[in-house]
Amino acid sequence: MSIPAFALVAFLLGIPIFQAVYYSFTDWNGITATWIGPSTYWTEFKDPQFWRVLENNLLLLLAIPFAILIPMAIAFLLNERVPGWRFFRTVYFLPTAISWVVIGSVALRFFAADGSLNHILASFGLGFIKTDMLSSEYQALAAVAITFVWSMIGTNTIIFLTGMATLDPSLAEAARVDGASVPQIFVHITLPQLKRFIQFAVIMTLISAFTALFSLIFVMTEGGPGFGTTTLEFFVYQTAFSHSLFGTGAMLGIILFVIMAVIGLAQVRLLRSRD
Amino acid sequence: MATVRFAKASRIYAANQAPAVNRLDLDIADGEMCVLVGPSGSGKSTALRMLAGLEPVDDGAIFIGERDVTEVEPKRRDIAMVFQNYALYPHMTVRDNMGFALKMAGVSKPEIMRRVDEAAKLLELEPYLDRRPKALSGGQRQRVAMGRAIVREPQVFLMDEPLSNLDAKLRVSTRTQIASLQRRLGITTVYVTHDQVEAMTMGDRVAVLKDGLLQQFDTPIGLYDRPANLFVAGFIGSPAMNLLAGVSTSGGANVLGATVATPGTQVAADTRIVLGVRSEDLVVDSDAPDSECLTLNVELVEELGSDAYIYGIAAGSDTRIVARTAGRQAPARGERVRVRIRPEHLHVFDEATGVRL
Amino acid sequence: MTMSDLDYSAQVLTRHKRRSTRRIVRDGVLLVVMMLVAVVMLYPFYFMINTSFKSNDQFLNGGGHSFASWAKLNANLPWARELLNSTIVCFSAIALILIVSTMAGFAFAKLHYRVQTFVFLGIVAALLIPMQSIIIPAFVNLSRVHLLTSYWGAVLLYAALGTPFATFLMTAYFRGLPDDVIEAGIIDGLSYGSIFRRIALPMAVPAIVTIVVLQFIQIWDDLLVGLLFLQNTDQRTITVGLGVLASGRTADFPVLMAGSLVSALPAIIVFLIFQRFLINGLTAGIGK
Repeated sequence: MSIPAFALVAFLLGIPIFQAVYYSFTDWNGITATWIGPSTYWTEFKDPQFWRVLENNLLLLLAIPFAILIPMAIAFLLNERVPGWRFFRTVYFLPTAISWVVIGSVALRFFAADGSLNHILASFGLGFIKTDMLSSEYQALAAVAITFVWSMIGTNTIIFLTGMATLDPSLAEAARVDGASVPQIFVHITLPQLKRFIQFAVIMTLISAFTALFSLIFVMTEGGPGFGTTTLEFFVYQTAFSHSLFGTGAMLGIILFVIMAVIGLAQVRLLRSRD
Repeated sequence: MATVRFAKASRIYAANQAPAVNRLDLDIADGEMCVLVGPSGSGKSTALRMLAGLEPVDDGAIFIGERDVTEVEPKRRDIAMVFQNYALYPHMTVRDNMGFALKMAGVSKPEIMRRVDEAAKLLELEPYLDRRPKALSGGQRQRVAMGRAIVREPQVFLMDEPLSNLDAKLRVSTRTQIASLQRRLGITTVYVTHDQVEAMTMGDRVAVLKDGLLQQFDTPIGLYDRPANLFVAGFIGSPAMNLLAGVSTSGGANVLGATVATPGTQVAADTRIVLGVRSEDLVVDSDAPDSECLTLNVELVEELGSDAYIYGIAAGSDTRIVARTAGRQAPARGERVRVRIRPEHLHVFDEATGVRL
Repeated sequence: MTMSDLDYSAQVLTRHKRRSTRRIVRDGVLLVVMMLVAVVMLYPFYFMINTSFKSNDQFLNGGGHSFASWAKLNANLPWARELLNSTIVCFSAIALILIVSTMAGFAFAKLHYRVQTFVFLGIVAALLIPMQSIIIPAFVNLSRVHLLTSYWGAVLLYAALGTPFATFLMTAYFRGLPDDVIEAGIIDGLSYGSIFRRIALPMAVPAIVTIVVLQFIQIWDDLLVGLLFLQNTDQRTITVGLGVLASGRTADFPVLMAGSLVSALPAIIVFLIFQRFLINGLTAGIGK
């Protein structure tokens, strides 16, 4: 009964991975593939563009704590169950339903030199801070990062909120009697119990950061300016389809896969050891 | 070490609802083990939580020692609480669980260690100090919950049905342990349970509650021998007291065809009353005069070894009666048995108000 | 002793009132904060709606609203056709995912063959495979089999991408199904197939709905696969259509916004309808 699932995955995902490994060792322009061998990897590692791209990925990692802390705070607010909280919960989760393409388009206008961000700043009297984030490399990455965090807020808030709902209220009461103040209860009692949920959110956010931003970047900056917002996943697409270097593209894909595999295994190891 | 006083304390949720706790007046002495007992919904847990500060006090006041703690938050009341489901922090070891409150209070680490070790020794928890709650049995977790409270060295212990999650045998043994521990430590304790046997065996004094109202606050034997109303009479003692409807005569009462004398009771003749007779005060006696006896059609006999309880229906009515007899002489089902009503420990209650006369 | 209205004395009233005032203040502050957050979260929607109701001229040169851009939408974006395509692709892929993952999930959870653990691990390990890693070989494979000119290429790929997570969820969910229900079925003489169809599946509705909602959003909103695997312009999905529109920099922005709204609406509707299931599903899934 499990054969169809296995077959589907094996043929469409499993085999391509092995193929990708093969192709990563070749010089392939889509029609002919000439075997080169491991030197394809070495050449890539010597390419400064490659490291620039990896640097972008690393910088993106810096955004992850924000994508965790902000939703945690919002979930805490929602958990107070002020009348109408369900409405807000829906509202906060709504951005999850819109595609990255749409988000990217809006973000593009938002961060543009004549865009909404500057308008808003001006209306607060901060008009002197005129930004043109999308035309400077690192700032563009920051713009992408901000948009990314914004879009993860909905998902992660829901995750933390469901986590908080599973907590035993008598624990908080016992802590009150034991003399803990509200922040102390949060730190010593609530947070440790949310560990599973936090782990889940971190993994999801990490995976998204590395594999789900293609559409966003495509629409917002196309990887630019220069290599400013080219993350590894975008680089795969660019190398293969824009430059017809399918072999290199495959190799980059493999590198990405290895990184994800390492993260995934690390998480499994973490989970197992804490229990 | 302190006294605890409820002064007309009430918990009212809304104007049109009956109060959960209705003007409770309780004076608990220093070092006393006071048990709050009653059926579910009686307000006993609510009263305890009001003392803890986990429920607000809508009317009246609560005092710990000379201090009015009505508006004081839980952590400043110098109390410790054992919850029904123990509420152990699942991500902390036993040692950390017990030391948590002290850590919050800023007590020094060596002092925390000392107190935790002492309590662990007292409760035989030493081998488990580094385990997490989920690696412990129910009984062990219960002891950790106790340990967490003891370590605080508070003025008052609060216990909310701490034994109800244990199996029967463990309950009995833990009961004695808690009672002797309390005696040893001498800390004023307020203990909530729905089990009247627990209440009777553990409490220095017991407060019986029903529907938010205090029915009687007395020593166990006081509740047993002098129940203040019908509810207490029927609630305390196992098997339950027989409550027979009847009419008073001058100096006595007529119930179910029998006449008994009720000295010490002040009631006008011809008042509708309820006579309370415990099962041990109904003696199987085939020779006593009819006027002092009830005839039972035996429905069921419970043989408990040294004693046996006869459950039957009084002839000529549909009142159910329990009588106690010696274990090896019990009658059989279907037999007719005559029981004499012993006049020494009779209780007379007004039928309308339920109050003792 | 009886209760009377005197119980609700003056002191009770004051204390109740004091508590309610405190609660109202606290709730008020929280509400204000939550509204601010809501503004941040909803701003793009506001922006989209507002902009789509401007003509390009009005957008570039200051205020005013009109229907001009909506009118232009038809010319710039074959949205009706593309919506249809999106729907076809989504439903097909999701149907495939459900069929495959429910069967697999049930098998892994309830039937016990030795090989199963490996197969299960294999499928779940595929969760780690980012689509960018396989996209090129998959592209080549599917073009060789000529599946790039029909919906099937994309549908199969979407299905393959969604199956690991769906299988994982279904397995977890079916594990939680009490064994005695199944044993009762066996005693009643049903085959495993019937048990699956008549007992397990109906009970798995929450998990199924969760998968439908999540996959719907993911597939509907996907760009990369659609871009590469639906080469036929009249098989394009709405998201790809939008992406193409957006990347042409000379685009008429309000028209783009109008198109975005059209594209976003179905996903939002699906989400709104099924959000409760989603939350339940998440709770069940992560809590273990």
